[in-house]
Amino acid sequence: MSAVMATISEDKMGAVHAKPAQRDEGMRLGFRLTLPAQILVLFISAFPLLMQLYISVTDWSPLSGVGWWNAWEMWNSFANYTDLAADTRFWSALQRTAIVMLVCVPAEFLLGLALATLFADDFPGKRIFYSILLMPMMVVPAVAGYMFFMLFQSGGPVNDILSRIVGMPVTIAWLSDPNLALIAVMIADIWQWTPLMFLILLAGLVGVPDDQMKAATLLGASAWQRFTTIVLPKMKTIIIIALAIRVIENFKIFDTLYIMTGGGPGVATETISVYIYKVTTQDLIWGYVAAIALAILIVLSIVAVYAMRRMAKAGEVPA
Amino acid sequence: MKRSVPFEIFRYAAILSAMAVTLVPILWMVSMAFKPIGEWSATGADLTWWPKQPTLANFQFVFGHSTNDLIVALDHTAVKPILSSLLSAVFGTVIAMSAGTAAAYGLSRFGSGQNLPLALIQLRLFPPMAVMIPVMIMWAFLNLNDTWWGLALIYGIVTLPFAFWLMKTFFDDMPREIEEAALVEGCSRLRVFTRITLPMMRAPLASAALFVFILNWSDYLIALLLTTREWVTIPVYMASLSSSMTGQLYGAKAALGLIAAVPPVIMGVAIQRHLVRGLTFGALKQ
Repeated sequence: MSAVMATISEDKMGAVHAKPAQRDEGMRLGFRLTLPAQILVLFISAFPLLMQLYISVTDWSPLSGVGWWNAWEMWNSFANYTDLAADTRFWSALQRTAIVMLVCVPAEFLLGLALATLFADDFPGKRIFYSILLMPMMVVPAVAGYMFFMLFQSGGPVNDILSRIVGMPVTIAWLSDPNLALIAVMIADIWQWTPLMFLILLAGLVGVPDDQMKAATLLGASAWQRFTTIVLPKMKTIIIIALAIRVIENFKIFDTLYIMTGGGPGVATETISVYIYKVTTQDLIWGYVAAIALAILIVLSIVAVYAMRRMAKAGEVPA
Repeated sequence: MKRSVPFEIFRYAAILSAMAVTLVPILWMVSMAFKPIGEWSATGADLTWWPKQPTLANFQFVFGHSTNDLIVALDHTAVKPILSSLLSAVFGTVIAMSAGTAAAYGLSRFGSGQNLPLALIQLRLFPPMAVMIPVMIMWAFLNLNDTWWGLALIYGIVTLPFAFWLMKTFFDDMPREIEEAALVEGCSRLRVFTRITLPMMRAPLASAALFVFILNWSDYLIALLLTTREWVTIPVYMASLSSSMTGQLYGAKAALGLIAAVPPVIMGVAIQRHLVRGLTFGALKQ
């Protein structure tokens, strides 16, 4: 969509000086300017994709003693893909990733939206509160993982606070209990990424025209009615963007989680990225990893096409 | 709109509790970083919330000064990991910003590279884990494994989408009259770009560069896979700060974590205005 807009403005620019020589100069320069980016994209997509496709139909591993280009010697006629269909550890990792996403993204959205509505108009201290509330998303995720690793130790602050509340010593071993560990990593994710929802939703919220709200108030609409009939429809595209970003990023969840639990205890917090990481670095069966990765890439590409259409549509709506 | 007093009370109460939740994990790490080893972990109810005897020993330890408390000898100090993080993030930013800015200008003004917006968003969409096998093979082939320049190259590619999209929206927003006037004066288009547009865009360029730097600096997974010993970055190095003898070196990790966390937080506040634009690929402007 924006590309189309760019073409139109180019026409405008060209029309001002209808000199064909200058137009050609622009075309040549445009090509040269975009070339480095094109090469980088090609370097990281085309060749790796073909390599991945090739390795994924073999049993190749970095320990197999032959270069990857000779992987055809270990051709296994799509066994990796049939293995994948029967790989329960893969499917439960996928399921776990979905659970984390279904808890974290809505929680981040609702908390972010609630905070954003509190920040919609001016009040003393707004700027400093705003800056502080945004801090978690700027903390290096690996460091955040380490923070929460410390917080959830059985002798750590979380248990200390709980002890004070219930009035007796609480010594929950958060990170070594399969269920609690999953909750702990989700809390860390919500802590870190609610600010992102807050930031984006607030940007959308201040874009809702004030006069419409005033008119609705005069007509006797309650706060809730104003919210559902004016604010939400106006924010629809922004909400979709915010959710899309978090869904994409949450699906990749790795850093905080891996540092807190390493995917454990057992496989209790093993999400899809952690699973692939383990197969890559511990089991070293890269042919199989390539197959998993390709399967994920294909599914995500289908989702991407749909999401991109929404994003492009949103781009037309001024925020 | 005038708000009622109960609403204001509710608002401050809600915001202050959100602040508490936001700050406790951060402050806990700050506190840990200055605690002597005896206060690191609590047994029973005597948890130390704030260091009773604040010390800089943890910071000295990660930089290789042995202290009385910590008898563990470090394999190597945090100096090189910090250098590695810095070099790879800075040069990754240079790569992403150079390629991204040039391409964004080419698309914004001349309509070149129409495939880039979509291709770059797709690049961002995929989990890095799902494309790392070929990258690891290629990097080994190019002798880029375990080097900061190898990391810089992949960082430059991974953050290229952000550099491109941010700069594209900045260029799209920029009024073209000055450029057009210069063209009429007989300036070549390349000269217009380098001598007029880029200097005018100094502030947006700086914001975009800081944004990209934060992303590069925040990486963990890629460094975990591509560096093993010589050029590990801070987060990878942090994991090695434990020993079988003393267990987790909490204080040392917290000290290093603090060192890693401070630059992006400061930069993030500095570019607050552009965060929304950066995070939403320019779909939203604040």
